Amino acid sequence: MRKQSAKYSPFIPVLTIYVLIFLIGKGVSGMWQVMAMLTFYCALGQAFNIFLGMTGYVDFGYVAFMGVGTYGMALTITHLAERGITGPAVIVLGMLLALLFPTLLSMAVGAVALRLRGAYFAIATIGVNEGFRYLIEGAKIWNGSEGIIFMSELNRVLGREAASSLSTFWSDVFLFVIATLAALVTLYFMRTRIGYALTALREDEDAAKVMGINVTKYKIMAFITSACFAGLVGAASWALKTPYVFPPEVFEIHYTIEAIIIVLLGGAGTLLGPVIGGLIYGLSKYYLSIFLPGFQLLIFAPIIIIIIVAFPEGIMGMVKEKAKGSSLARFIV
Amino acid sequence: MVLEQLTGNLLQGLVLGAVYGMATMGLSLIFGVLKVVNVGHGAFIMVGAFVTLWAFTTLGMPPLVAIPLAFLIGMGLGFVFYYSAIKRLIKAPELASLLATFSIGILLEEIVKLIFGSEFRGYNWVVPKIDLGVTVLPMSKLYAFIGSIIIALLLYLWFNKTRAGTAMRSVVEDTEGARVCGVNVGWVYANSFAIGIGLTVASGVLLTMFIPVGINPYMGGGYTLKAFVIAVLGGLSSPYGAFFGGLVFGLIENGSYTLFALIPGVEPFALTRFLSFVMLLIILLIRPTGLLKAK
Repeated sequence: MRKQSAKYSPFIPVLTIYVLIFLIGKGVSGMWQVMAMLTFYCALGQAFNIFLGMTGYVDFGYVAFMGVGTYGMALTITHLAERGITGPAVIVLGMLLALLFPTLLSMAVGAVALRLRGAYFAIATIGVNEGFRYLIEGAKIWNGSEGIIFMSELNRVLGREAASSLSTFWSDVFLFVIATLAALVTLYFMRTRIGYALTALREDEDAAKVMGINVTKYKIMAFITSACFAGLVGAASWALKTPYVFPPEVFEIHYTIEAIIIVLLGGAGTLLGPVIGGLIYGLSKYYLSIFLPGFQLLIFAPIIIIIIVAFPEGIMGMVKEKAKGSSLARFIV
Repeated sequence: MVLEQLTGNLLQGLVLGAVYGMATMGLSLIFGVLKVVNVGHGAFIMVGAFVTLWAFTTLGMPPLVAIPLAFLIGMGLGFVFYYSAIKRLIKAPELASLLATFSIGILLEEIVKLIFGSEFRGYNWVVPKIDLGVTVLPMSKLYAFIGSIIIALLLYLWFNKTRAGTAMRSVVEDTEGARVCGVNVGWVYANSFAIGIGLTVASGVLLTMFIPVGINPYMGGGYTLKAFVIAVLGGLSSPYGAFFGGLVFGLIENGSYTLFALIPGVEPFALTRFLSFVMLLIILLIRPTGLLKAK
């Protein structure tokens, strides 16, 4: 029993950081929005890390999963409000649809792309967000390029009071929960045969295959899991926070870029990496937007190039190396 | 009526396709020689477009004269990025070079945004138009068409008739074999990357003739996707394959636009862009070695 719980001790620092962020946000006046933004970036990083970090494959169309998750929530609220169904259950159903849409899309994309290796995989995913955006706009699905605005529907479903506390408080609480869950799932993967299989395939896919590992199965598992969390992040932080959804905004490649920066900065494939990366990126974005608005990518692009060339293991990768053999080692994976 | 429109659009597509093809040759060259996928490809096209704009508005240089200038600037950029980053990543896992070229693309976009701002810009090059019966073609597009073919031919001659070109082909065939035969593989890598980027930046000049007021730091994203479709059509590692892939893609893009426009209640332009993504997936699924290349 003791041994079983020790397996999960690396979760303690992650949880501590999230609880600290939450408490600072609640306790210090005016900090809630900043802490919520940090949580958004941590959650985005955690979700992206499950696929990029564990498999070594890069998905350039990642934001598409956030986009369809957002649509899942928006469609649930508008359709149920039309039929007069109200209450918090609508939000729960919306979350379920925000899980279902990314699952379907990731299965469809994964069925083609995950057959391909390395560079070909990246090429196949590079158009997913644009392709899906133009499908929605071109075929006028889900209101096409006009998007969905569902402020009044949300008010009808929950009542004005509850709807506003949902967008200013509860949506951020959802993000905390999603980020924590994503970390927990990451750790669960790491501690079970799923993680061992993914590590093996990341190091040498052919060797893993020869050893009898069903690499495709594990790749798809990581891909779908990662996509589902992206859908939830989209639903919680976009659909519930700002009750509208426009295709150019939710399929904006910018968020894929941010996810890549966060994961690489913190350390791909580590548990604490996305948290550290998310905090650094979120804080610097926040302060840069005050002092040097619009410059964060100009600053982060060369940083990422330097990290890739000189420190490919990222911050937590280096910390992990340093902590090897010390008493801290059991808290870091 | 529809047929006439279709012929006209296909003709336009052929002209645009040649430029698309030329815009993808650099991508294929770099992948063929270095096995590096330049995910920041579109950003280099964007740089070419801004070179044209800058040369035209401040130096008064006609866009055609900007081609060699853009090529040289591109080669310079290619050498800088090769020696600062790419060189160290050739042996690393693919993830590293993918993310590095992606970041280079972002860096270029942000630098250009810093210098020129993010609004859409354009230039006004007054040229006569010629009437081809089914469609009217501005001379600038015709120049771009001819320019693309000339550049493709020059690349072909350079590949086949010069020592440096032969060395490059030998590295594409078998890197270790070339090394054993005394080819300086490191130098071939650097040269190929620089020439590939040079071609891409130069193609940005030609592409501005099709989008006179669409020059913007973030214009490259769409071209990256198109270039990948074209490169995959042509077998990914062959510059000539890419050129013919471009012709095919131009025809499909413009032809499908005409056909999508017949369906009521859709936005044909957005659907052509969706189609290019679907094409990419289908080709990768059935023939990752390219449609034009015999196995």
